[in-house]
Amino acid sequence: MTTASNLLAFLGLVVTLLIVWRQSWPARLRLFVVQSLLLAALASTIGVLAHRRGLLLVAAVFVVVKGWVIPLVLARIASGAPVRRVAPGRSSGIVLLGAGGLVVAAYIIMLPVTSAVELPTEGAIPLAFAMALIGLGLCVTGRDALGHILGFLVFENGIFGLAILATYGLPGIVEAGVFLDVLVIVLIMEAVVVEVRREHDSIDVDRLRELRG
Amino acid sequence: MLGALLAIPLMGAVLLWRASGRVATTLHALTAALTLVAAIAVSVEVNRGDALVALDGFLRADALSAWMIGLIGIVGALAASEAPRYLAHTTPARFYPLFHLFVFTMLLAVSTDDVGLMWVAVEGTTLASVFLVNFERTRASLEASYKYLLICSVGIAIAFLGTVLVYFAGIQQFGDEAHALRWTTLLRLAPGLAPRVIELAFVFLVVGYGTKAGLAPMHTWLPDAHSEAPAPVSALMSGVLLSVGVYAILRFKPAVDVAAGPGFARSILLALGLLSVAVAAAFLWTSPNYKRMLAYSSVEHIGLVCLGLGFGGPLGTAGALLHIANHALAKSIVFLLSGRIRVAYGSAEIAAVGGLMRRMPRTGAGFLAAMLALVGLPPFGLFVSEVMIFAAGFTQGFPGVAGAALALLVVAFAGLLRGAHAILYGTPPHEPAAEIPGWRPALPVAAALLLLLLTGLAWPPGLTDALDRVVAIVVR
Repeated sequence: MTTASNLLAFLGLVVTLLIVWRQSWPARLRLFVVQSLLLAALASTIGVLAHRRGLLLVAAVFVVVKGWVIPLVLARIASGAPVRRVAPGRSSGIVLLGAGGLVVAAYIIMLPVTSAVELPTEGAIPLAFAMALIGLGLCVTGRDALGHILGFLVFENGIFGLAILATYGLPGIVEAGVFLDVLVIVLIMEAVVVEVRREHDSIDVDRLRELRG
Repeated sequence: MLGALLAIPLMGAVLLWRASGRVATTLHALTAALTLVAAIAVSVEVNRGDALVALDGFLRADALSAWMIGLIGIVGALAASEAPRYLAHTTPARFYPLFHLFVFTMLLAVSTDDVGLMWVAVEGTTLASVFLVNFERTRASLEASYKYLLICSVGIAIAFLGTVLVYFAGIQQFGDEAHALRWTTLLRLAPGLAPRVIELAFVFLVVGYGTKAGLAPMHTWLPDAHSEAPAPVSALMSGVLLSVGVYAILRFKPAVDVAAGPGFARSILLALGLLSVAVAAAFLWTSPNYKRMLAYSSVEHIGLVCLGLGFGGPLGTAGALLHIANHALAKSIVFLLSGRIRVAYGSAEIAAVGGLMRRMPRTGAGFLAAMLALVGLPPFGLFVSEVMIFAAGFTQGFPGVAGAALALLVVAFAGLLRGAHAILYGTPPHEPAAEIPGWRPALPVAAALLLLLLTGLAWPPGLTDALDRVVAIVVR
């Protein structure tokens, strides 16, 4: 189980770094789908090896929600957006370096957790947390609404991975609530973004500067 | 009873989804009134006997829940009474159902024993209210709702991380106890939980739920959302939504105090509380918009509540809880009145409003009284709760923090009074519309002011007892 969980979490982190590196939207969206599928695979692996039937169901719902429905909505949001050029002065090398720093930070922050237990999956916990941190970074530094949403979803994926690795699955009602929440957030986001685009002809966050002080 | 309390606003929201015209207004009034009755009934029942439990322990209301339930019922009714007046100037599409859904999510958050479900409900408050913030569909309100949704969703996801870690600590120590996400179980297991993990979890929980509570530096969504939302929604958000965020932190605090020692949660709460008061004191001087000014005043008061909880002990905790209630009453009516002022003057800029005392004497008098309450002057309740909080600070051995907060409070006091003075006196650039006639508009204002006088001058029977019961839950 250690090998499998470490490998899948590591691949998930690599995909996350690729999301940071790639600047074109369709590529990022495809990578997000890959990341979601990897996490679903992680959940089902742990479900089989640790004899948690419930996790298989969670993995199935995860594939449907994060691997299919949400990417569809994201593609719909993006279909009306003008393709955004990479802003000058923002080399992806420096951003990647920052992401690398976040991986180190993830290991340090998760020390209390990894040193508290003897779990076969413990080695992968900081990797999942690094995914979450990088997603948070993407969300905070995102320059348009799509960047924000994608960053948020990567963040959410990382937390999901961490929850699976550390607890082998949360109580069902909470899992269900989380899925529902993420889905509703993305749908509301779509509604808000549609209005933002109607008002501003753009989804650049730079245009949102009415409220100050 | 607990089931009925949650079913009423939920049913109301469902029925209101298709209703319109007079039917909608009547149904709205009925739902709000029944919610208030049920909330008070639950509060009284809990304070007479033991905690109420329903659905196999899934729903549970102890004295702390009851305090919040009563408050949500009262502030919800105050805000609901203003909604038809507000909607007279606009089209009511979906306002009523979302309003009651918003109330339902807040009630659910404070009346469940499952910290996972509490998390879902707190997230639900954002989802239910985001369209209410953007109700006027202007550029500014759109921007406010976007920031609100994004920042609070990220914040609440961080709180989820904290919840996961708490659950992790629980099952590590005690195996798969089926109800490990239950608050009652958590408290029972607390002495054996790994302290370092719990500390880490608490940091995530405070940052996450603190975003929802409007604590600096996670408060940035708050002034936008509060100033752009319709007045009844601002009243609900400022009055009780922020306190629901504080409540969520408060639920975890006793477990953290037991598992990691009392110093840890205390230092975090004191630091964030002091920072919030400082940020608010600065921005109270610079806000050109009176609804933004009121929003920063909320940041200040939530900061004070956090200081009270940080100082701790029975006095600090009771002071903080009482302050939550006092602030909810005062701030909700100020927001309701500011909505009327905005309609009459056609602007939310302080510069565009003036001479309120002469132009709209009854609105002006209510506004003045509520503002005096809000800055913490006697005879209103906020004076008493602030005295309790600072007395706790000085007696529990934090004279430095308490002194600094007191100095900042003076700065905030002056900033708020300066804004209030500009609104109440002077000459406006444009003459406002006439005041709404009749005695009905004065009713919610008078009711809230009366309650504030009660908490300030003569505590009604049962208040001391109710606070003691809450303190017994929070202080370990």
